[in-house]
Amino acid sequence: MWTTILVSGISLGSFYVLVALGFALIFGVTRNFNLAHGELLVLAGYSAYWLWKAWAFPFVLTFPFAILVILLICLGLQRLFSRLRDPIELNSIVLSFGVAILIQNSMLFCFSGDYRLIRIPILNQGFHIPGFYISYGQLTLFFLSLIILGILYVLMYRTYLGKALRATIQEKDAAALAGINVTAMGTLAFCIGAVLIGLAGPLYGCIHYLYPSTGHEATLVAITITIFAGVGRLGSIILAGWILGLAESFTVVLCGASWREMVSAVLLLTLLAFRPHGILGKGEG
Amino acid sequence: MIQSTSKKTVQYDDKWGITTDKTSLFLGLLALITLPLLVQTNDYILQVFTHALLLASLALAWNFLGISGSISLGHAAFFGVGAYGSALLSLEQGLSPWLTIPMAGLFATGLGLMVGLICLRLRGAYFALATLAFVEIPRVITDNWDALTRGSLGLVGISGLPTLRMGAWHVDFGSSITASYYLVFAYFVILLGLVTFVFRSNMGLALQAIREEEIAAEAVGIHVNRYRLLSLLMSAFFTGVSGACYAHLVRYIEPGLVYGLHFSAVPMIFAICGGRFTILGPAVAALVLYPVDQFIFHPLLPAGHEFLYGAVLILTMLFMPNGFWGRLRNA
Repeated sequence: MWTTILVSGISLGSFYVLVALGFALIFGVTRNFNLAHGELLVLAGYSAYWLWKAWAFPFVLTFPFAILVILLICLGLQRLFSRLRDPIELNSIVLSFGVAILIQNSMLFCFSGDYRLIRIPILNQGFHIPGFYISYGQLTLFFLSLIILGILYVLMYRTYLGKALRATIQEKDAAALAGINVTAMGTLAFCIGAVLIGLAGPLYGCIHYLYPSTGHEATLVAITITIFAGVGRLGSIILAGWILGLAESFTVVLCGASWREMVSAVLLLTLLAFRPHGILGKGEG
Repeated sequence: MIQSTSKKTVQYDDKWGITTDKTSLFLGLLALITLPLLVQTNDYILQVFTHALLLASLALAWNFLGISGSISLGHAAFFGVGAYGSALLSLEQGLSPWLTIPMAGLFATGLGLMVGLICLRLRGAYFALATLAFVEIPRVITDNWDALTRGSLGLVGISGLPTLRMGAWHVDFGSSITASYYLVFAYFVILLGLVTFVFRSNMGLALQAIREEEIAAEAVGIHVNRYRLLSLLMSAFFTGVSGACYAHLVRYIEPGLVYGLHFSAVPMIFAICGGRFTILGPAVAALVLYPVDQFIFHPLLPAGHEFLYGAVLILTMLFMPNGFWGRLRNA
């Protein structure tokens, strides 16, 4: 039984890594908390669902469309965020909370409140290894998160652009002084974030029922992992994702499925209680 | 903003807009008192305004905290605990709502103490995120504690608003919509008076100082954490009382409803759109936006009519960070 919990926990965690990456990147570079993150994910899921159901698109081909939709919205969102005044972090929370309500209600209007699921039979099939069972879906999530992290790693640590991004994450003003176009870096972060959301959204629709208000939970997961991992540390993100995934699987087995929703909240509160100034850890949070 | 221009100094007494807004306050209250007479035949309108007054009280309660510069995204926690506390006490113990509603407020205050212990060290964005996460805890517990709360089924058959007896004379607030309207109205007026009193007292000044510059406030001898905790507890108490009133007004509650995002979002949106640094702003916003939502947007778009709140919040953040009431008064 423990191996099963381990497998499902790691695969859930890998999925959470995908969910959180976009949020973490946008927050790291622009210091904007995008509370509409989960809603964007669900929107990406819905657009994939719509293509797949109404137009019978192959599932893989729904990704580019979902990415395009989210990319357009994220660029608009960045425009909104860039008009905010100080304190940016708090104001971005309030603004994006409004955006979240807006998107949630638009989805309610367009897709109704019914539960939707993208059913891909092959993802639920799998194979036995002595002792436990792995489905192709779980394998896909695991390797996909590793591949995407690998690509991001190369981008961030092996290219000149990545260096500029990392400099912006570390110290925005100093980066600007060094001649880095900080605004462009922000736009870039929103674009990469949108691509990541567009990738995670359709997957969300495969393993989780889609309904307009479900995005809130994904937002909470993304916040928890981002705060857990700290800004701009890719390795910590995967660790944080796995820990959250494992914690949720254990909770489901030990206490029951209905307690799962509390795990990320408790984890986040514990983190904040012990690191009251947030992830940056120095001086004012 | 505290500024040292002479114009501002002259206006100091009008800081909270009560003096300048006396006329609008008077006219507003008069309109609210006479409303049931004007719409006698239309229960629906009265029902909407009863809810609007309750939401206005919720926004005022939220603003006890909002005035200190903190933004809470988790007031549904206090609202839900208040609603469940009062409903369960009156259902299981048969207590009168006169008793259970204040007790519900105390439950919410207890929860507020817990929030305070965990979150008060946090500032700004991290405080907001912590409150956002905190709601999940009472919600999931209520959802799972089947023996006490009947879980996700919710509670039905909650007793209506109570009867007031004075000797032979009595009025049953649960009997008609008009009666419940006046009870909620009375609660709203009392809360408005209290908010005015607190905001213009030393505590209000202290909270404002904390909002403007916490370190400077501490340097002049304001007990920052004591005042922040006090404002959080007051906010929690009245949010709990509002939740209890809601339970007895609607007479049906379930965890997804009373702990839902709606009751976290709505007081915050009203307070910010109205102007969270004013006394009347949050209440005015509630009394305008909720009826607009119910009378105009709900019939047009039964699904998704609440996009109005999101849109209004975004516009406020971009163009009027001090809210429309704050803007009107400074104009």
